[in-house]
Amino acid sequence: MNQYTLSSGLRTILLVLMGIGALCMGITWFGDDALHTRFWSNFLHNSVFFTGIAVMASFFIAASILAYAGWYTAFKRVFEAITAFLPYGLGFMVILALGNYFHLHHLYHWTDEAEVAKDPILAGKAGFLNKNFYLFVTVLFVGAYIFLIEKIKSFSRAEDNGGVDANFTMHKNQRFYAAILLPIIGFTSVILIWQWIMSVDAHWYSTMFAWYCLASFFVAMVCFVSLALLYLRANGYYQNLSQHHIHDMGKFIFAFSIFWTYLWFSQFMLIWYANIGEETIYFKERYDNYPVLFFANLAVNFVLPFIVLLRNDTKRKIGTLSFVAIVVFIFHWVDFFLMVKPGTLHTAHAAMGHGAEEHGAETGAHGAEAAGEHAVAAVAHGAEHASSFVSGFTIPGLLELGTMLGFFGLFTFVVLNALSKANLTPKHDPYLQESLHHHV
Amino acid sequence: MSDHKEVIYGLYNDETDLLKAVKTAKKDHMEIMDVYSPFPIHGLDPLLGLEESRLHIAGFVYGMIGTLTAFLGMSWIFTKNWPIIFGGKPYWSVPAFIPITFELTVLFAAIGMVVTFYIVCGLGPGVTNVYLDDRITDDKFCIAFDKSEVSEAEAKSFFEHTGASEVNIKTIN
Repeated sequence: MNQYTLSSGLRTILLVLMGIGALCMGITWFGDDALHTRFWSNFLHNSVFFTGIAVMASFFIAASILAYAGWYTAFKRVFEAITAFLPYGLGFMVILALGNYFHLHHLYHWTDEAEVAKDPILAGKAGFLNKNFYLFVTVLFVGAYIFLIEKIKSFSRAEDNGGVDANFTMHKNQRFYAAILLPIIGFTSVILIWQWIMSVDAHWYSTMFAWYCLASFFVAMVCFVSLALLYLRANGYYQNLSQHHIHDMGKFIFAFSIFWTYLWFSQFMLIWYANIGEETIYFKERYDNYPVLFFANLAVNFVLPFIVLLRNDTKRKIGTLSFVAIVVFIFHWVDFFLMVKPGTLHTAHAAMGHGAEEHGAETGAHGAEAAGEHAVAAVAHGAEHASSFVSGFTIPGLLELGTMLGFFGLFTFVVLNALSKANLTPKHDPYLQESLHHHV
Repeated sequence: MSDHKEVIYGLYNDETDLLKAVKTAKKDHMEIMDVYSPFPIHGLDPLLGLEESRLHIAGFVYGMIGTLTAFLGMSWIFTKNWPIIFGGKPYWSVPAFIPITFELTVLFAAIGMVVTFYIVCGLGPGVTNVYLDDRITDDKFCIAFDKSEVSEAEAKSFFEHTGASEVNIKTIN
């Protein structure tokens, strides 16, 4: 079976997941504070997470083509299918970018012009952290990824339809576009991460942060691919793959989990050692108010894959590999939860605290609402300082998990739908035979 | 080991010829003494029925020894033996120990594995090793039979059929 069809059973499951997601987002919206912080922070968190996975799949394809990699060729369509989520991811990020203009959300402290004017640090960053630039880089860079990866994919499919080509024209075309895509992703994804995620904590910055995020995306991406391969193999597809391919996916989870840990620790240790207040605040916030997630993040994303996947045979066993892949995938999602939530909560409290006076004075119509906000803000502010439990922020609640399932359902649906549009195993790829005889 | 052993060996130009020959020998129930190759050949180990190497288990043990040496050593030095305050940090500053713990883990594992490998293979400075032919370290692939187990005629016809480029007999100690 070289043609995947999305079975109606799975389609139903995915649609139900999307329904759960939509329902949870609706419940979150109506049970939220005046700025809908919980809804929008969930939206940002999940949009960034799944878009990042699609970006890293594009990166993987470009890097593998340029590195003359052959082992993954037999199932390269899975990676290509993941990149089909990029336009959806762009859509979500553009919603957030437009939200900056219309004050739909208040996730980013730097979108508040009155605050920026008072704040010399934010004013200094205003050339980079402003809503025009946010929209500009989001559209330009993600648009460039989409354009280039679609080119690569179109040549990859054209290779299937054509005959055997002694000059490998189609493959050379893929290499040409991969050579353009790789440095573009390498440099610009960093800027996207600064804008999308790091600017949630607008005063804080770390030069390690973007790499650390990319490593997190990458691990989540290889976990997803491993699970997809195991699922497809269990359903009768990809019988031409051997346990050596699965083993190599396990190695990727293992190796990039350690790479992630390396970056996590490098960022942590440099900040801990230098002990400069404006840097340590990031970790102090998480260490004091999110201790369980903070340490669970490290334990699950490093210790678990390290201990379990260290042995040769555990990477080949379906049970252990899929267990690690599922848990690590979820905990990289939690990793992004820890990046997004503390900052957005803080920004929301600050905005509601001062926003109440200004909004009330400016617009009489909103006066009553603003007064209500003020009360909410005062309570919320008190809650934050007592570092007590804030629903949906201190730990991921059911609504967060539901939202994640919704995004996961949409993501998987888009990926599997794209997978069904092309042959599972490419034809006439120069590396195909190498891949089919892959041996570790 | 002191008694002499007569070995008949054939040299092949290509590792795929060698793999085919090993399969043939296995089918004909000929006892292969050893196979030599300038580089590892994929799929040869299971054909020869070789066990998986346990060197990586030794490597893990050496690594753990390195981890414990570094971590416990630094803990003792910086809290009991010679406590010094660095940058206002507590004496027992775990994050500062991690890089050195990592380095010693790698160092112990690497050196331990190399030494173990040398001992297991009987290699090392000052050791003279017996080898059948210079070219098996360069561009030839070799199958060797012990003449006490496989007769000369049988071996010669085997090498002829499987396309060996050269057949020699050598006495080794």
